[in-house]
Amino acid sequence: MSNLAPLKVLIVEDEALLAMELESLIAEAGHEVVGWATSSAQARKFVDQTDADLAFVDIHLSDGPTGLDVAAYIKAEKPTIVVFLTANSKRVPDDFAGACGVMSKPYTVNGLVGCLRFVQEGIRKPPPIASRPVGFALAPSYASQWGLG
Amino acid sequence: MNDKPTKSSAHDWHMTDDLHAPQGKADPFAAAMRATRMAMIITDPKKPDNPIIFANDAFLRLTGYERSEVVGSNCRFLQGKDTDPDAVAALRKAVEKRKNINIDILNYRKDGKPFWNALYLSPVSDEQGNLQYFFGSQLDVTNRKSSELHAEAERERFERAVKERTRELEDALEARTMLLHEVDHRVKNNLQMISSLILMQSRNIQDEGVKNSLRSMLERVEALSTVHRRLYQTDDVTHFDVGDFVRDLVRDLVAASGRDDIEAAFQLGEVEIPAQQAAPVALIVNELVTNAIKHAFVDGRPGTVGVKVAKPDGHYRFEVNDNGAGMPPDIRSGSFGTTLVRALARQLEAKVSWESNGDGTKVVVTMPVEKGSPKEKAERL
Repeated sequence: MSNLAPLKVLIVEDEALLAMELESLIAEAGHEVVGWATSSAQARKFVDQTDADLAFVDIHLSDGPTGLDVAAYIKAEKPTIVVFLTANSKRVPDDFAGACGVMSKPYTVNGLVGCLRFVQEGIRKPPPIASRPVGFALAPSYASQWGLG
Repeated sequence: MNDKPTKSSAHDWHMTDDLHAPQGKADPFAAAMRATRMAMIITDPKKPDNPIIFANDAFLRLTGYERSEVVGSNCRFLQGKDTDPDAVAALRKAVEKRKNINIDILNYRKDGKPFWNALYLSPVSDEQGNLQYFFGSQLDVTNRKSSELHAEAERERFERAVKERTRELEDALEARTMLLHEVDHRVKNNLQMISSLILMQSRNIQDEGVKNSLRSMLERVEALSTVHRRLYQTDDVTHFDVGDFVRDLVRDLVAASGRDDIEAAFQLGEVEIPAQQAAPVALIVNELVTNAIKHAFVDGRPGTVGVKVAKPDGHYRFEVNDNGAGMPPDIRSGSFGTTLVRALARQLEAKVSWESNGDGTKVVVTMPVEKGSPKEKAERL
């Protein structure tokens, strides 16, 4: 697991405390945070300027429920994998708007670390063999791509 | 006889000549027809436009016309602006097909006053089967009809009112559900915020004792987080699935311990508890499982933490067991975790029994099924 190359991660989250702590957790797990956006406009800028492997995207941002738009923009522009971090997972459409999965808030430290491990394996050495993180829902398209039920 | 209505009433009774019946005022059938209180007419379909050739006094009283005004005319003069065209069409069709018809039709008197006419029209043929006449009888059913219409209007009004009320209730329910989800959303965000605060603080602390306390605090908050993540996920917002919660919680705790040599074993029946009991139950299970992971497998001793959830006769039963070294009594009675378990058990009216020896520890929590919950009431019915 640890011999896989670390991920470049973009955080799209309007709550500063959550974003700060998330950044620490990501760094502790050995990955690099390439940007933190609080609005959809900022997020688009970061998407254009960085080449993140993974983007954690909240659905409610400072300019409204624009997280789904951000996911659509990322899907159109970059190969970056999107994971929604949201307290309102019912807002996520059935096709997950092209995202890889949803991590439901409130997530636990272990859940998030597990999510990072799972996605890292999915990106660096698919299919992921780590157990499915607690609180994580995998998109059907990725499940079939990775041969996971 | 000429076809036009005549003005002369002196010839009135001669019009009955067209009946080709035994003639004269003494004919009992003709006399009966003239005298009956039921309005009656006879028309002649062999003549152009099927005119009335006989109308009795009752018919004249009903419609307000003179005999001379009606005889020789087609009876459509009774129709008016609100007469149902479908009813007229049905009448025309019956005449064309030479069939009986029984129909309520809105007609108009000479003075313009409408009345509901229960019309019966029937063809009369001779012995050879040739159509000779149509016989019509008319009954004023305005009273019956208006009460029918009134009942119909009342029924429609009632249905509208029910529909409106139903919509109001649905709107209110939707508003309530939206509000619940909004509050739920905030609770979840705030729990995430509390976890983040504890974590951030603990990153800046060197003292291992304080760090451990903060870690225990975080675990408790995360147990509540796990409850809230699972709450309101189904349509039934009043109940909480203990099994799903236990699986998430214990998987998280074992993984977070970093101990590959500790396994989790589950025996989870389908047990739902009222939503308001979810948090205290979750905190108790969290304390018991955390205790097992921390104290049962010291000095690299591997093992299994087992959790059983069941609902035997009128009780919920939660069991946390391990095959570790057994727990010293001082850990059981002195710690904050134990105090927490005792207090929450009291709140839930639950009994907690501890068994510990060299082969491990088993804690069983039994809690009465709340009698007042709607689901329990439904089950008892």
